[in-house]
Parts: sequence; structure tokens; C-alpha cells
Amino acid sequence: MSNREIVAENLIKRYGNFAAVNGVSFKVSSGEIYGFLGPNGAGKSTTVSMMTTLALPTSGRALVGGFDAVSQAGEVRRVAGVALQEIGLDPLMKSMELLTIQAQTFGYSRKEAQARARELLDLVKLSEFTERQVGKYSGGMRRRLDLAMALAHEPEILFLDEPTTGLDPASRRDIWAEVRRLNKEHGMTIFLTTQYLEEADELADRVAIIKQGQIAVEGTPAELKASMGTESINVSFRETDQAEKAADQLRDMGRVQIDRKVLRLYMSQAAAAVPAVMNRLQAASLEPISLTLTQPTLDDVFLQVTGGRFTESEPEAEAVA
Amino acid sequence: MGVLTAESENVTASRIAANSKRMPFLLQVTTMAWRSLVTTFRTPAAIIPGIIISVFFLFVYTGSLGNASNFLPGLAGKSYLAFILPVSIVSSALSGAGVAGQAIVRDIENGYFDKLLLTPLSRSALLLGPMIAGAVTLGLQTIIVLAVGLLLGLESATGLGGLLVVIALALILGVGFSGFTVAIALRTGSAAATQGGSFLFFPLTFLTATFVPVALLSGWIKTAAEYNPITYILEAMRAVLLDGWQAEVLLRGLTSASVLGIVLFVFALLSLRSRTARR
Repeated sequence: MSNREIVAENLIKRYGNFAAVNGVSFKVSSGEIYGFLGPNGAGKSTTVSMMTTLALPTSGRALVGGFDAVSQAGEVRRVAGVALQEIGLDPLMKSMELLTIQAQTFGYSRKEAQARARELLDLVKLSEFTERQVGKYSGGMRRRLDLAMALAHEPEILFLDEPTTGLDPASRRDIWAEVRRLNKEHGMTIFLTTQYLEEADELADRVAIIKQGQIAVEGTPAELKASMGTESINVSFRETDQAEKAADQLRDMGRVQIDRKVLRLYMSQAAAAVPAVMNRLQAASLEPISLTLTQPTLDDVFLQVTGGRFTESEPEAEAVA
Repeated sequence: MGVLTAESENVTASRIAANSKRMPFLLQVTTMAWRSLVTTFRTPAAIIPGIIISVFFLFVYTGSLGNASNFLPGLAGKSYLAFILPVSIVSSALSGAGVAGQAIVRDIENGYFDKLLLTPLSRSALLLGPMIAGAVTLGLQTIIVLAVGLLLGLESATGLGGLLVVIALALILGVGFSGFTVAIALRTGSAAATQGGSFLFFPLTFLTATFVPVALLSGWIKTAAEYNPITYILEAMRAVLLDGWQAEVLLRGLTSASVLGIVLFVFALLSLRSRTARR
């Protein structure tokens, strides 16, 4: 099995005084899907540019498949496939032409390249549109073709920079399914940047949250969520004193916190405890207006890390009553 | 299913194979040139005005100055059409050259350029492709201008060979001008700047023996013409059309065109370096 790792060692990219990437280190193992999550301008695309030989790091080292992205750029280009955030397709050309040229540039003969192009068009479900100029494709079709372009030379490592930004939900699911398949069936190592928590949660084995050019936290989605504390049951009442009475009934089940008319009960396995909570409230003749269950989400982690609105507003809640 | 023909157990083998496979340089260049040509011909609006303008100039110059040769020492009894036709061809080389630069700007804007930079394609092939496509487009324009000239009664003193020399000189010049617009495109990434940049060469077609032979020029314009490589290209074209084979004039024309072409290609290559290094 070949080396399919991606390693960044203290990568820095400065433009004048501004550090777009300010000391990023990570290691993606062979066959792993690594999510690079961050808001716009956090340094995601700059990191991808350095890893994929498009930009030179100011300092630090990037290794892709064991090859140095600076001194062995040619080798990196051969082992890695790249789909950049900006879809790189000439709108005047047709999909078959683009894919054939792409494969040819990696040394396929014209015949091999055409066969490969047909295979890829089948894969991304564009076989019926080979005679249409790419400029007339929909956004989803262009993304799929761009992904096919990145796969033309059978790379072992795939870089996807915001692969679903601007896509409708159905096209997004198509891309996700394809990313999972490439990872499972071909053991491809996949480095994926995204602004969507759902996407990182859905696809990535491990996630790094990047903020102002630095990795703020890193871990599996489950670890990151766990770092945000446990689940909670939130019960709201008409009056503050009702909430206080309810607190007395529930104190032994977990940590209780009262915020005016809302009671929060922090505990593990909150969903299973909902009937018990309801029984106790009924026994005490307390009638809640609503009861919601809160799971810590990657959102919470993300917002806390990136200094978003987490402290001001309710975390994502799932209504159960 | 089996999209990647290399499955994990023989990945090492495929890695070695993939690393050793190379696209021959010549094929890289022709493939890139072919691609540029295909896209050029899918937007005919980009090249048709250039052809129309060249033909228009030819009509206007011969129409208004057609009898002038009788008053010009050294041109008496010769065809002014054959004298002015090279100017029309050089100016069409100028307008045609913009095509290559615009093609690069288009690629930079739509992101395909970055995609190509991520392939093992040679950087020279990336530049030569659109430049050659520009030259081929220009070759076609030249043939059209020559055809119109023949319809207007052009007679080449050296026959078909002379016409081929005119086309060849136009092509070399076209590659050079293309290199210049490609360089501007790479340095600015802007369509407007590229358009503007191609006008920088405009004075070159007039600070030379445009309407009369060099011998009749005087003062500063004579000096300018003597340093202007276009002068020698025009002289070579005129010699084969009007007088016959003159080795020295021909050689001077070819050298001027080639040097100009090489200098501008190197300029384009340096621009590509600075573009990729900056990012």
C-alpha cells in the first residue's frame, strides 16, 4: 500500500503583513476523510493552494503522498487530484474534450484518455450531455464534471475545496455519495474544506476548525461535540416560580439550571429520560409550555470556536413536545 | 464500479506507471493549440471584425493612394496595391494577436488556467498553444487579405513562393505579437488591459515606411523607421511582391520577425513565471 498521507508542518503563507495561513499543522492518514472547516477568509483555500502546489508557502512544509509540495511539485500533481473552489472549466468546451485533454496531460494516449473520459462521464451521470458546451451546464452538472476532472488521472489523494458551495440539496447529496464511494472503494485519502458543518459531520472522519489562519480545534466530530458538554432537556413554563418548583423535582436527575421561565436539565441520554421528566412534572401538577431536547452539534463547537453568536442564542434544538 | 482501474493491491505499480508516463512535448503543444483554435472558432465574433478591418484598410489605401506610385520615386510603374498590401497584413497581425491574449484572460477568469497549471503540462506548451492558435487564425486572415488582393489585381513578382513568404512572415510576426498580448494577459489578468496592450504596438505599424518607401522618409520618422523591426518585415514582403528574390532583404526581414518573436515569447514566459510565483 502506497503512502497516501497528507502532512502539513507549521505552514505559513503571508501576503505582505497579512498572514492568510499562520502556522497550520495536521496529519491526514491514508484512507481518511479530513474535514477542514471554517468561515470565509479563514485560510482554507490558501492551505489547499499550498498543499496542491499552486502557491508557495512562506515557510513550513507540505507533504502529499510523501512528496514535498515545493521541491517535488510534479510528483504531488500526479498523486493528487484537485477540485478547487472556483470551478476550473472552459465554458466553450465540451465535457468529453475537457476530460480527454485532462487525461492526456497525465500521459494517457488519446484512445486511453477517451475511454477514461467516457468512464468518468458515466460515473458523474453526464454521459447524455457530452455534446453540450460546458457553459450551458447547470451548477450541479459543472461541479460533477469538475470532480470528474480531478479524478481523470486516477489520483490516490483528493483535495476538494468547498465542493458543494452553491449547490442545491439534491446535487449536494450526489457529491457526498460520490466522495464516500471514492473513499470506501478506492481507499482514497480525501481532504475536504467546507463552510457547512453538516457536510463535515456527514463525511469527515476527523475535522479541524480553522480560524484566522490557525487550527482552533481538531478531532472526530463526536469528540468535538462531546467537548461541548452533554445533552440537555429544556422545559419552559408560564411562570418563573413554576420553573423553580420543577427544579426541585428534577434536581436528582442531572445538573439543573434555571434561566427565568426556562429550566435546563443537563444529563447524558436525555432522550430516554424525557418520559420520566414528564411523569414527575405531572405528579407535581406542573404544566410546561414546551419541552425540547438539545444535542450538542458541530454548530456549537464551530460557533464557540469562531466566536459566533453561540453565547447569545439557543443552540439548535429538536422539539419533542 | 472499477472507475479507478488500479485497485489498491497494485497501487504501487500504478503509481510507478503514472509517474513514468509522459505526454510528448510536441503533442502537448498541438493539443493546447487545437483546444485554443476550437474555442476561437466557437466565438467567431472575436476574429471576424479583424478580418473585415484589414480588408477595409486595403480598399481604402488602394482606393485613395492607388495612383500615388506614379509620383513616388522608386515606385514608378509599380503596383501600389502590392506596396500597401503588407501594411494591411501587418495590421491584421496586430488585431489577430489580441485573440491569444484574450484566450488566456478567459482561461484565467474561468479558472481553467489553474486547472492546467496543476497538470504535468510544460509551461512553454501552455503559452505556445494559444500563441500558435493565434498565429493560425492570423494565417487564415492573411490568406483572406491576400485573396482579396489577388481579386483586386495583385501580381506577385515571385509568384506563389512570394505569397508563401508573405504568409510565413505574417505567422512569425503573429506569434510574436501573440506572445506580447499573452504576457499582458498574464501580468494583469484583465481583458481591458490586454485589449489596451495590443494597441501599444499600433504605432509600430505607422512609425515605419507605411505609405512610402524608407528612402522617401526624413527627419525623426526616418530614424524611428530605421529602428523599427516592422520596417524590415515590410521591406521583405514588398521585395518579394514587387521586385523578386533578394536574399539580403529577405534575410533581414526574417531575422527581424524571428528576433521580435523570440523576445516576446521570452517576455511571455517570464510573465508566466511571475504570475505563478506571486500566487
